[in-house]
Parts: sequence; C-alpha cells; structure tokens
Amino acid sequence: MSFKIKSEVADSVAKITLEGSLDSASAPLFQEEIQKVAGQSPKDMVLFVSELEFMASAGLRMIVFAKQKLGPNVQIFLVKPQDLIIETLQMTGFIHSVHIVDKYPA
Amino acid sequence: MDAIIEKKSFDAIIDSLSPIRDFLSEKGNSFGFDKKKIYKLCLAVDEVATNIIRHGYEENGKTGGLVDVITSFYDNKLTVILEDDAIAYNPLEHALPSEEDLKKPLEDRPIGGLGVMIAKQSVDEFKYEYNGRNRNIFVINF
Repeated sequence: MSFKIKSEVADSVAKITLEGSLDSASAPLFQEEIQKVAGQSPKDMVLFVSELEFMASAGLRMIVFAKQKLGPNVQIFLVKPQDLIIETLQMTGFIHSVHIVDKYPA
Repeated sequence: MDAIIEKKSFDAIIDSLSPIRDFLSEKGNSFGFDKKKIYKLCLAVDEVATNIIRHGYEENGKTGGLVDVITSFYDNKLTVILEDDAIAYNPLEHALPSEEDLKKPLEDRPIGGLGVMIAKQSVDEFKYEYNGRNRNIFVINF
C-alpha cells in the first residue's frame, strides 16, 4: 500500500492526513510535513489516520519527533486510528501520550 | 503432510519493506490466517528487516546485499525466516525499553529498541540463529 500525506495549518491547528503504509521508507515524508507545519507554531497537531493501514515504529519515532519539534505543550490527536494501530500504541505506551478521538474538533 | 516451503530474495534496501510485507500477506492469506495475525507478522518482520537493512547493511557500507525471506507452513504454524549476510547481529541482545521508559513523556523517551520490542510481542515465537548468515525466525500459530 503506497503512502499519501497532506497537511495544512489553520487557526493554529496543524492537520495532517496520512494514508497507506507508514514504514521506514515513508517516514521521511511524514517528517517533512511535521517540519513544514512546525514553522507555523501550531498549538495542536491532528493526525487524520482512518485510511492509515500500517504503522511501524518508524511512525512512532515521527510522533516523538513532532513532540520535540512542536514542544511538550502541543497536544497530539489521532482521529480514527485502525484497531491494529491502536494495539501498537498500547504495546508501546504511546497511547498515554496522544489523544485518540473519533473526530476533530470533538 | 510435508511443509510447504517458499523462498524469495529482496534487495537490502528500504524500498523492499513494502514488497516483503506484500509477500507475507499473500502467504498468510493463502494459509487462512486472519487479518490480525497477518498484520502482526508483517509488523514484526518489517521492524527486523528495517534494522537489517539500515544497521546491518547500510551503516556498514555493504551495498548490493540481499534479504532472503523463507516461509514454511507446517502443522498449523507459519514460520518466516529472514536470512542476510550483513554483520552478525542478534536483535534479542538489544536493550529493550523498560516499563519506566514506556511511561515517560514522549519527548523524554529513549527511542532505541522499540522496533525489537514490537517484533517480539507481535508473533508467537521470535528466535535468532547464526550459521554464517543471520537468521531471524518468526512463528505464528493458528
């Protein structure tokens, strides 16, 4: 499954939509988008991931990168992650550091 | 019944990760494993294959290498073996994040070892052997 990503920043919220497979090959594209939105100092980062079908630890590393780049006060939301991705977030404890939501804004 | 064995070689490059996962999904499906088992097998293999390609081959300046993927189905178990000629490396000796590490705020977390931890937890068995080549062995049961 190929990887697609797009991003925008509106009203201080960075919105990034990810589709397909997020592995070590595609993670650099995610990193680029994080860098791009970081330039606009958003207060929240929202990842729309309902069409993200695979995520390896390379994706988790990018979430850490985002937190470091945007600052510890920036909240990270994941909108509608698939069950098997939630399982990886649980296994690694990342589930406690992000907000899993059905839609954004709530 | 004899084991059904297949082998496919992939270039040791990051762009091979997706074809490796596709190959394993196809095998898993053909033997009737469910989506969750197949996903987790792909995840485990992806993590270890990433390390082999990045650390085993690329960081040691070895180019043109291969990762061989051998699948064997026998007795309701699917075994996947990754074989490579990169430097000998046992991922099971890699330090894993501790319980404490997993509770730390993201920005303070050590990132090493996450992939190996995921790999170990995602399959029923994970072993490493060396016989002149690295052999990373993953097993899923029905």
